[in-house]
Amino acid sequence: MADRVSALVLEGVTYHYPATRTPALADITLTVDRGEVAGVIGNTGAGASTLLLVAGDLVPRVLGGELTGRVTRAGRSALLLPTPWTQASGMAFTVRDEVAFGPANLGWPLERITAAVERSLARVDATHLEARDPATLSGGELQRVILAGILAMQPEILLLDEPTAELDPAGAVAVWGLLRELAAEGTAILVATSDLDALPDAADRILWLAGGRVRAVGSTRDVLSDAALWSEAGPGSTAVAGAWRRAALDAPPPLTVADAVERVR
Amino acid sequence: MRALHPFTLIGIAVVLPALAWILPAPWGGIATATVALGLCAVGGAGSGIRLLRVALLTAAPFWFFLFLLHGVGGMVTTGVRLTTMIASFLWLIAVLPPACLVEAMVAAGWPASAAFLLSATLSAVPALRERASRIVDAQRCRGLDTRGGPVARFAALRALALPLVLSALHEVDERALALETRGFTPGVRRTPLAPPRDRPAERVVRWGMLVICVGLLVWRIV
Repeated sequence: MADRVSALVLEGVTYHYPATRTPALADITLTVDRGEVAGVIGNTGAGASTLLLVAGDLVPRVLGGELTGRVTRAGRSALLLPTPWTQASGMAFTVRDEVAFGPANLGWPLERITAAVERSLARVDATHLEARDPATLSGGELQRVILAGILAMQPEILLLDEPTAELDPAGAVAVWGLLRELAAEGTAILVATSDLDALPDAADRILWLAGGRVRAVGSTRDVLSDAALWSEAGPGSTAVAGAWRRAALDAPPPLTVADAVERVR
Repeated sequence: MRALHPFTLIGIAVVLPALAWILPAPWGGIATATVALGLCAVGGAGSGIRLLRVALLTAAPFWFFLFLLHGVGGMVTTGVRLTTMIASFLWLIAVLPPACLVEAMVAAGWPASAAFLLSATLSAVPALRERASRIVDAQRCRGLDTRGGPVARFAALRALALPLVLSALHEVDERALALETRGFTPGVRRTPLAPPRDRPAERVVRWGMLVICVGLLVWRIV
């Protein structure tokens, strides 16, 4: 594990979208270290996607609005949005060029771009797609290609909004495994997801947002074991924890099948 | 044709309509329309006849209205010029790979935003067609009848056009975010990935076409 050095720090951040009175985020304080995977969970409208936009310096700079508080980034950040078809550059007519789009924008030499593209395509298991037109890919394939494009830019801070939304179960498992690999290499990762079953193995810490505010933050085990997650404001927890709860077994619930087996024994 | 540099292809597609308007009517226009339609027939990458048919079908309504407004003489004079424009543009779209044009622009030092504007426009057509098709299917599932007479079709158009326009507008924000996060910012100097070869002979041809156009224009004015 890399040394614990903060890559992303949000201090007292409040953000209003343009022409709105209710803040989308209110008084958010969060630190993501290098080598750490921090998960963001919450119901629809909780502010998880907005938090990623703030972390990625995209609001208010691109979309406008009003931001108060302080955001500090130690390195370049890149954001993966949940809709791959709106993330294709429109300037690339092969997957290879699509992945190279970001590095080319950074003005890197061609040799460095080529190496980064090949490595990124291999990491998301998309090398076989490199000659395809991005417009002909399925949603899952395109999501992997866009992720490859983000990784090719070698960001120090990786922000992901529902990265497995378009993927099949095997593809989703591969992406969660890849995030652990990237964290082990020192990348700071902030990921908003509704795939709560993946978080016990994938995330080091969890931030639970409700109504744009931090409802809880802590270790993955602590937050996902919180009974309040099953309240109206909560997104629930893992499927195993839910089954454990419905069976009215002893708290705290196990979060994974392996945990449950261990508890039953 | 595809082996030519994108700027040369654009040069040909621009010079033909320019000559159609500069050269004396109707023979100048007839000559340029013949060349443009000939390019469509041979340069359509295996679908020349289809491209030629599209060009002629696109031009036909113009000929009809020109006949109604100006009679046979005016129809021929302006019709061949418009046909040259239509055929040249369709030929250019058929033979010019957008990726190649983008690379050529980036290599020539054009702002990346200009290259994006052009390539996004070229790639937007199939994307919008695909989306329109999905909207038609969705609206049909909800009982909208898109068949029947002109009145029924016109009534259905609103239910098809509105979602198409609104979804395209909604996409603008997300696309802006996606481009921004991938380093596509104003003033960026992109690395050309595979710039097409620009032969000296082609540069001479492009300059030659420009000189001929200007020379003929001066000749016509004087």
